[in-house]
Amino acid sequence: MIGQLIDGPLWYFSLGVFCLGVLFRFFTILRAGLKPDLAIPRAGGAPGALRNLFTRFIPRRDVATRGRLTLIAGYLFHLGLFALLFFARPHVDFYAERITGFGWPALPYWAFIISAEIAFIGLLLLWLHRLLHPVTRLLSTADDHIGTGLVFLVMLTGCLALAQSFEPLRLLHLFLAELLLIYFPFSSLMHTFNFVFSRGYSGAIMGRKGVNA
Amino acid sequence: MGRVLFPQNVADAMKGGWLFLLCVLMLLPLVTSTAAMGAETAEQAQAIPVPNPSADLWRDVRQRDGIMTGKTQVAGVDSGALINPYGETWRNFRMRQLIPYSGYLLAGVLLLLALFYFIRGKIRVNAGMSEKKLFRYSLYERMIHWFIASVFLFLALTGLILLFGRSLLIPWMGQELFSLLASASKEGHNLFGPVFAVALLLIFIRFVRRNIYQKGDLTWLLKGGGIIGKGHVPSNFFNMGEKSMFWLLILVGIVIVGSGLLLVFPVFGQARLTMELAHVSHAVTTLLMIVVIMGHIYIGSVGMEGALDGMTTGYCDLNWAREHHAQWAERCEQAGQVVSEAEVSRLRGETAGGHIPPAGAQESGQ
Repeated sequence: MIGQLIDGPLWYFSLGVFCLGVLFRFFTILRAGLKPDLAIPRAGGAPGALRNLFTRFIPRRDVATRGRLTLIAGYLFHLGLFALLFFARPHVDFYAERITGFGWPALPYWAFIISAEIAFIGLLLLWLHRLLHPVTRLLSTADDHIGTGLVFLVMLTGCLALAQSFEPLRLLHLFLAELLLIYFPFSSLMHTFNFVFSRGYSGAIMGRKGVNA
Repeated sequence: MGRVLFPQNVADAMKGGWLFLLCVLMLLPLVTSTAAMGAETAEQAQAIPVPNPSADLWRDVRQRDGIMTGKTQVAGVDSGALINPYGETWRNFRMRQLIPYSGYLLAGVLLLLALFYFIRGKIRVNAGMSEKKLFRYSLYERMIHWFIASVFLFLALTGLILLFGRSLLIPWMGQELFSLLASASKEGHNLFGPVFAVALLLIFIRFVRRNIYQKGDLTWLLKGGGIIGKGHVPSNFFNMGEKSMFWLLILVGIVIVGSGLLLVFPVFGQARLTMELAHVSHAVTTLLMIVVIMGHIYIGSVGMEGALDGMTTGYCDLNWAREHHAQWAERCEQAGQVVSEAEVSRLRGETAGGHIPPAGAQESGQ
């Protein structure tokens, strides 16, 4: 009964909330608009936005040195999670069956395991940094911890269900993933998409001012 | 009124007969089986013992004092061995020695720690907690400490579930639920094992320099680290006990990681015997580490006042440092590195309008 609910209606509900919620957040961001810039632009905003969007993947030297640990842990977590989410065999099969109708090449098992491990290393270090660093500790809200905790639990239950022999373990993983999907649009996890807007916005302003930032 | 077919006395006799017949029918299987057993016993007593030829064959194949390897078309490690007698030795060791004795060991250590706490109590800072602090652990050091701690606790928990689950958990939760828990524990344990190896490497690189034995360490050991008796024994940044624990963790940790990798990746041509030895060494060394960590957790939590502060806030109390790490505290005081508690609160952003410490100082631990 509970299994059918998790596998069926709750999955479609959470997917619906995720899609509509993300679209709603996009709409509110775009609807906020931009303040009219009356100054004569020194250069175009679009090149600045594009430049900022991609160059910020590599931090400035002084930032990279000071925050080396968070930089490395951040990349480990995000790359590991990306590989897990889109290239783990069980996930590819799930997407093909439930969403896309087609699959794509998946990672071999050993690469899947290594991805999970580097994602866990990154996530744990980042969470500890959030808890122990005086600045991030003060800046962090309950939302940040809930988001991190949910991602951690989804990853953990996924790993515990690796044997794929026990239906309750798979359902637990799916249930937590559904909670994450519902929580996602209304939390700081939206940075998954919003970083494009924020980087593009500040890059466009700097570009129009002719600042090479 | 029905017709009376039989007189009353005949009818009574028939009723009694039916009851007797029913009893006979019910007892018949028991009687026949007993009779059959009796017949079998008699037959067995009369039978001439004929040795089973296949018993000798399998006895020879088994070769109790070694593995007999034959030729086979099947490619693979141990594929030529029909029976590995060491498997039974390993199984017996696990079931009859490892599980009960390790259970006694863990329970005994827990009991000892509780007893020690009730006798000795919490080790207080004699001079009382001061309002002055010393910077002890950088952010990075605290991060990797809690990183290895969380991974170790997860591995210890899942490992203990796998070791004691059959005897402790199955009677409580049943076989079905335990099989699910055991599968989850095994997968989690296997996945987080290599993560522990990374954490161990980070700990080694960061702390090795401060854990090299130096003059005065032996004196600390001979005086029991001050736990026995009233006096405090001067020591450096780390005392002899902490240094010994560090080296034990590193050396035992290498065995744990090595044997664990042998078990998780059976693709390097290791034979079954190697796997059995790896399992035994993994279990024994892990139990040793769990026991040591239990002591470590005891001191860090309820055993000693002020011991945990360094690992949570980065700063330790000056009086605590004077009493437990006198040589290091003296050096810090001479270098003018003493800060007030108010300053620490301000640095940690705990007071209203307080500034936050320079990020570089936090990251590098300066």
